Amino acid sequence: MVKIGWAVCMIGLALAAAAQAQDLSGLERRVVELEHKMRQLDPSFQAPETDLLARIEALERRMELLLAARPAPPAADSPPSAAAPGAAQPPPAPAARVPVTPLPLQPVSVSGDYQASGQGETRLPVAGYMDFHFNKDRGDSFRPDLHRFVLLFGHSFSDRIKFWSELEVEHAFIEGGEESGEVAVEQAYLDFLGTPYLNFRGGMLLTPVGIINERHEPPSFNGVERPFVESIIIPSTWRELGFGLTGDLGRGFRYRTYMISALDAGRFNAEFGIAEGRTAGFDASFRNPATVGRLEYAGVRRLTLGTSVYTGNAGFNTPGVAPRVTLLEFDGRYSFRRFDFRGLFADTWISDAGQLNQFLERETGVNPNVASRLRGYYFEPAVHLLPRRLRSDLIAFARYESYDTQYRMPSGYVPLPQFDRWSWVTGVTFKPIPDVALKFDYVFNRNRSTVVQALDSINLGIGWWF
Amino acid sequence: MIAILFLSAMLSAQAPERKPDRVVTIVAERFTFNPSKVKLKQGELVEFVLVSEDTDHGFRIPSAGIDVAIPPQGRGEARVRFIAREKGRFAFECSRPCGAGHNLMRGFIEVK
Repeated sequence: MVKIGWAVCMIGLALAAAAQAQDLSGLERRVVELEHKMRQLDPSFQAPETDLLARIEALERRMELLLAARPAPPAADSPPSAAAPGAAQPPPAPAARVPVTPLPLQPVSVSGDYQASGQGETRLPVAGYMDFHFNKDRGDSFRPDLHRFVLLFGHSFSDRIKFWSELEVEHAFIEGGEESGEVAVEQAYLDFLGTPYLNFRGGMLLTPVGIINERHEPPSFNGVERPFVESIIIPSTWRELGFGLTGDLGRGFRYRTYMISALDAGRFNAEFGIAEGRTAGFDASFRNPATVGRLEYAGVRRLTLGTSVYTGNAGFNTPGVAPRVTLLEFDGRYSFRRFDFRGLFADTWISDAGQLNQFLERETGVNPNVASRLRGYYFEPAVHLLPRRLRSDLIAFARYESYDTQYRMPSGYVPLPQFDRWSWVTGVTFKPIPDVALKFDYVFNRNRSTVVQALDSINLGIGWWF
Repeated sequence: MIAILFLSAMLSAQAPERKPDRVVTIVAERFTFNPSKVKLKQGELVEFVLVSEDTDHGFRIPSAGIDVAIPPQGRGEARVRFIAREKGRFAFECSRPCGAGHNLMRGFIEVK
């Protein structure tokens, strides 16, 4: 038994020694490869012709020298991340500063498909999106329209101070004094980043209400045009001057709360409610700033729930009348397997609407018939028709929208039934790649009026993000 | 037998690929990372698996000198590994302009 035991032990040792020899030979091959790579980095590198340990030590020493000649890792004054889009690897290193301490999070490796997005694509120092539409109302001809051309610029002054902006040209063409187009700063603000929970933001801000106002890149929603509810009941794009706080509360909750320039009630009307009252930073008033807040929950994959509240005095242009606008909104988005759902509900109250109507009628000679309450909602199921394995995506959707800008009237005023509207928007979105969307929809428009007929429309669109 | 066990242990210690202590999948979507807060233990080797639900995003951890592109939806995933050497709170952010709310797209790693 003892002999057998010794024999097993010796065989085991022999096998282990063979395995180690094989492993050492593999190790040596890897060291040779590393020496070769090091010579590519530093042609003056000479590998010592000694044992493996000495060769590894030589590699380590030369690596330290190379690191010393490299600038510090991107830290407090790193180059702007927004200005280097799509950087797939650490930026090239012009010799500058000597690193002082090792990184608190020591990088080990990067793998996977991290370079795939850059393949076949040229990255520009700006991002942007475009919306090109063909719209046709029933009985009308197709109208082409380069609806939006938007460029986004960003800059990081440091890891804690960042600038972000969006410059928009609408309808392609601007002519002095004509209402043919628009060039607008859609947003331009500075973020002062503090803790996860508390950050400061100031400048031209997108009012954080609803889904579309802050998330309106064409491939991110179905339908050629934005939802009616998020154009009329909730104006979009709704931007105001202001400042406020943003933060991530953890467990998927985050918030934004701003003080922003007020709406101008002098431009409210029956058809578009408060939408025309946006100042967009021009001739805005900050004497009685409005406050707006949004709380979002995104703690479960593919589910986002949000609620927003806006309240502000809108009477800076209507002396003697101080209507207060209060807007409450709930929204949600959810994806389950090949199905997407999204929905939104918005309710708006306008105080002193009767006095406002009287004031505007005296000033302009026309009764604007502004309501004391506006309401709208929509829901949109959608299904992805192509199998996941394909790179393209084809989405069929149907959206029901109800939007009434005369939901409740002030005493003595009668609602106009043509402004109690509802629509079915049905169509498809084809995405050959995730950032390009070809859209088609047919819109069934209806209203309560027996006199003013709502027209159906056909829309074609191409939208892309870059 | 003891020698075999000893040698086996030695050889396995020389294994070139150390398995990560934790693998965390982070989903990027305009304009959130989910989860946006990741808690780690000091000394852990961590692998982040980064996937996008829409366009391509960037993933930058300044404290690790890592800046990678996350491919668009359906085009795969990026994986980054790092060792949480020091305790503290370290930010990560989207480094590729992805839309109106790009600056909001941030998260934090807490090493305890």
